[in-house]
Amino acid sequence: MVISPIHYVAIPLLVAFLIPLVAKIGKNWARILPGLTLAYLNFVSVYLMTKVQETGIISESVGGWDAPVGINLVFSPLSGLLVSLITGIGFLVWLYSYQFKNVEKNESQKYFTLLLMLITGANGVILTGDIFNMFVFMEITAISAYALTAFYRHRNGAEAAFKYLLIGSLASTFMLLAIMLLYAQVGTLNMADIASKMDQVSSGMKVTIFILFLTGFGIEAEMFPLNGWAPDAYTEAPGPIGAVFASAVVKAGVYAMARVVFTLFGYGDSPVEILIIMGVITMAIAEFSAFRQEKLKRMLAYSSIGQMGLVIAAFGLGTKAGVFAALFIMVNHALIKSLLFLSGTYMVYHSKEKLIAELNGMAKELPVTAALFAFGALAIAGFPPFSGFWSKVYFLIAAADQKMVFLIIMVLLVTTVEVLYYFKVINRMYFHKPEMELEYRRPSTNALISMFVLTAVILWISFFPDTVMGYIDAAANDLVNRAGYINLVLNR
Amino acid sequence: MNIQDFINFLVYGTAIFLIIGGLYAVLTKKYLTKIVIGLSIMDAGINLLLIAIGYTYKGTAPIFSPAVEGKTVTMVDPVPQALVLTAIVIGFGVTAVALSLVIRLYRHHNTLCIDNIKNLKW
Amino acid sequence: MNSLVIMLLIYFAGAILVYAANKFSAVLRDVIVVLAGLLPVALFFSIPAFEAFQFRIAGFDLFWDLGSLAYIFEALVVVVGAASLVYAISYMKGKKNLGYFYMNFFLSLGSMTGILMSQDLISFFIFWEIMTWSSYFIVVFNGYKTNKIGLTYIFFSALGAYAMLTAIVMINTQTGSTMWNDFFIAFAGMSSHYQLLISILFIFGFGVKAAMMPLHIWAADAYSHSPMAYTATFSGVLSKMGVYGLALVMIKLALVSNHFVFSQVIAWLGAVTAALATIYALIQKDIRKLLAYSSVAQLGYIITGIAVGTAMSFMAGIYLAVLHGLFKAALFMVAGAVEKQAGTTDMHKLRALIRKMPLTFITAMVAIIALAGIPPLGGFVGKWMLYESLIGSNHYFLVIVIFFSSTAAFLYAYRFLYGIFLGQEEEEFAHVKEAPLMMLIPMLFFTVLLIVTGTFPGIILGPVANAMNHGMGFRGVQWEMSVLTNVYGDSIHLSVISTIVVVVFIVFALFLILKGRKGTRYVTTKDIANSGEPVRPEDNYHFALDFYKPFERAMAPLYRFKMSEIYGNISDGLVSFFQFTRRLYSGNGQTYVYYVLLFIVILLVFSNQLINR
Repeated sequence: MVISPIHYVAIPLLVAFLIPLVAKIGKNWARILPGLTLAYLNFVSVYLMTKVQETGIISESVGGWDAPVGINLVFSPLSGLLVSLITGIGFLVWLYSYQFKNVEKNESQKYFTLLLMLITGANGVILTGDIFNMFVFMEITAISAYALTAFYRHRNGAEAAFKYLLIGSLASTFMLLAIMLLYAQVGTLNMADIASKMDQVSSGMKVTIFILFLTGFGIEAEMFPLNGWAPDAYTEAPGPIGAVFASAVVKAGVYAMARVVFTLFGYGDSPVEILIIMGVITMAIAEFSAFRQEKLKRMLAYSSIGQMGLVIAAFGLGTKAGVFAALFIMVNHALIKSLLFLSGTYMVYHSKEKLIAELNGMAKELPVTAALFAFGALAIAGFPPFSGFWSKVYFLIAAADQKMVFLIIMVLLVTTVEVLYYFKVINRMYFHKPEMELEYRRPSTNALISMFVLTAVILWISFFPDTVMGYIDAAANDLVNRAGYINLVLNR
Repeated sequence: MNIQDFINFLVYGTAIFLIIGGLYAVLTKKYLTKIVIGLSIMDAGINLLLIAIGYTYKGTAPIFSPAVEGKTVTMVDPVPQALVLTAIVIGFGVTAVALSLVIRLYRHHNTLCIDNIKNLKW
Repeated sequence: MNSLVIMLLIYFAGAILVYAANKFSAVLRDVIVVLAGLLPVALFFSIPAFEAFQFRIAGFDLFWDLGSLAYIFEALVVVVGAASLVYAISYMKGKKNLGYFYMNFFLSLGSMTGILMSQDLISFFIFWEIMTWSSYFIVVFNGYKTNKIGLTYIFFSALGAYAMLTAIVMINTQTGSTMWNDFFIAFAGMSSHYQLLISILFIFGFGVKAAMMPLHIWAADAYSHSPMAYTATFSGVLSKMGVYGLALVMIKLALVSNHFVFSQVIAWLGAVTAALATIYALIQKDIRKLLAYSSVAQLGYIITGIAVGTAMSFMAGIYLAVLHGLFKAALFMVAGAVEKQAGTTDMHKLRALIRKMPLTFITAMVAIIALAGIPPLGGFVGKWMLYESLIGSNHYFLVIVIFFSSTAAFLYAYRFLYGIFLGQEEEEFAHVKEAPLMMLIPMLFFTVLLIVTGTFPGIILGPVANAMNHGMGFRGVQWEMSVLTNVYGDSIHLSVISTIVVVVFIVFALFLILKGRKGTRYVTTKDIANSGEPVRPEDNYHFALDFYKPFERAMAPLYRFKMSEIYGNISDGLVSFFQFTRRLYSGNGQTYVYYVLLFIVILLVFSNQLINR
């Protein structure tokens, strides 16, 4: 079998629907099979990433129809980076969830089916070269995310999922509207083809389409004020799914937004100052709200939104340095926030309310988990020498190159707030005395392994950033190089 | 106003009316099922708009058949129709998920008023 | 292998090893603590010259080398660090989480070494932040009650660090390099707009660590609430990193000569810091708090000295910085010894420990003499030079403020000695014994060091003058081993003064010994304090209570002005603003839909602006 980008979409989708069948053979297969699938996808990532570094962008036509007519998948350094990240984290989440609450019992079929569908969707959004296809994959991602949010019956999951669905439907409406308007103007759906015909569109229409796309993808990318769903969904979804949201769903949204801004419209043609403004506002509001949170996962959710605001602002800078910083932050955020969600989940495992106050003195009971959480907190707050620092420095340098002193000052002021609330949690874990009898549960071995792998990767990026920066640099080049993308996909 | 403009006006007008109406329902109705219905109406409006864009006056179905071979006929654009089919399926899926969530919510809260379902806030 | 890297590695490896060793055995841990603490001292003083080290990470060139100014501070780091670690072994005995404590201790020592050897801004910042969080983790070591203090500390540190980071990225944009030296050279060519911004940002960043007004608010609490073994380093050395940075920025950027107003503002901030902190030190009843405020006040002198920027004032500033590191470390060790042996640090409770802890008393007395600026010890030298340079450069009002706070420092210094060691003995403290040997060794070491450096200030002034002549841009700075001279031709021979003092001391000691043969007569408190009147229990007050009542009454308006209240109000305001932003997420799904529609409608309405950009 020839390894091709289609495997990212086809195989998890196939397996997702095989799981109920396989479960008839043996209950455990429903839990093992997704792991095998994701492990295979990681192998595909390694193979294709090395290949793409050698030969350049891989464009694969589906069904034998070539690019502007047929649907194509583009495995470029950029999409490759993000897809590898998503499948990597997906695998770790599978490992973590192998023995987890209901998953362990009889709900595993549902859980893993939805997880695989979500990964299919996110991979599809990132790989596809067709704008309508992107919409479809976005919907697959969203629907499986709704269902995963409502996974627990006894919690308020349904409420969170309904809010998510309500706003998600609006997002799909706006996306569809934008795609339609675009199609009416240029008569094609292939992104490279649209990009090459973008001059035909009048500037007024362009702005309207841009705003519609911005709203549609902004909802998935947690941009303020479109992110009402996010804190609820993160809070109510099962813990490991929070990690998937932070690393897959949101990343897909941000990727789509960046693709639209940079490839479809071209940086110079799209009103991107709005991205900087909205990014900073998103970050500020989210971090401020996180400061006063009482629930751990909700706090992490707001922190995640804040980081996304930073990413959006970094994309808004529009220079290659800005894109580089944005991608670097995305990579770091996906890894570190996953670690925070995975370790944080075990610390509030039995708790009903999942309050931060319940973490008092948790470090005594769960020393390893608490240490990993503290490490993650330091890393995401951008404390050197950990990896969050490098991405932050690159963001600041990109901003300084554009002479945006105000942006730098705003971002850093908001970061101090972030530092404070993470340190508050660390203080509680390590220095407070528990107010009540702690109910805790030690992480299972598989969960520990997945957390350790994440930690190792983060430490690796912290101390050997150059090894990853090469890939990120290639990805940034790929996104900025609009003409290259068009020519390659259209075979010019 | 000739017939072509009238049809266009009618179709676009209906589509926009449906979208606005659906949005109105989503924004003002407090009853969860009505909100879901509003979403569906909005979907229908979008789909209609999509069809309208591909529509050509006096166009025929975009199918190659022996009957039309060799003749120049105006066909409607097939792509939007394909898109609409997909969009309808997606809308169906979303509605199904939404309704199942509504059932879950009713069991959990014993109410369907959206104002009373605010356990998650701030 | 490069000796700088080895020093760094010893500290950082020590951090990891000590944490691991703590899991196995306490003895092994203590051995590692002592070894990893003393090894850098041996290494530092045995290597005549350090070679540079350079490598590349994440697209930045990192360049490590020990400059001549940094050399002085590095000496302080290794010496005070090693002494504090030795002290800590005894002081921290019996406490929990020691692996964690020592790990952060070593991390902060290593990061300070890193800061001093960084010739580029990126590694400077990295080490600066490691220093911040490692010291933070020790500030909150004492648990729940230090939570808020720790957060204040980390908040101000983060603000300062981010100000610095902003400056760093701006320098990177302007010069295309992250080397200190390139920056120093390019600074003169930048637009005045950038010059001003970058200087302010740097001074803000360093000012936080140097506890400069109005950024000092964290200092007193953080110093007094971390374990005393660490505070010796924290207040003695870590705060000097801010001083080092200030010295570097102010002198190298010629802020003092080219931006007259600038240097005046900073000098005055330093003086006001000194005055206010001294006044606050007076009313503290906790000796740790008293020492903490005293630290802030001393840092004020140092900042003034550096900011005025004449050769002599700069020399005085750096000299005082080194000296402050020594005597404040000694004093905090005394406070720690008292805390450990007597169980309290409250001056209203403590009394008459002189007979119980004579060696501790001697350390305290010598350090206090050094602090108060009484000849023959070093404080006198430093202050003499500071006064002289201020008068010489026509800063008369500054002299008045500095002189005022320096005089007021006598008051709290005396109270410190009196409150703890003198007065009438009390049953409550009958059981108190002298501090353990491992604590006494570093304390007595500092005593000796203070006497030596006081008599021969040239030991410190020599390297300072060397640093000033090579690399700081001063020319022909003179120094002498033990003689102070000034422009008016006066000279003070310190060794003569020392000899006289020692002779008087010996005579007095002989007298006491001879007199002491008769035997000591103990009196009870009630006999002398109340003229024979019977004392009810509620009257049985302590001498240290309301010690400076008249002074306090005179200064009452100043005490009413509390910086912390202003900050408190600001933070309350911010927190309620955060509460408001939180309320934006109302929990109602329809509200969120409204937000989405509002967003898109506003954008569509303003879409014209978006086109015509």
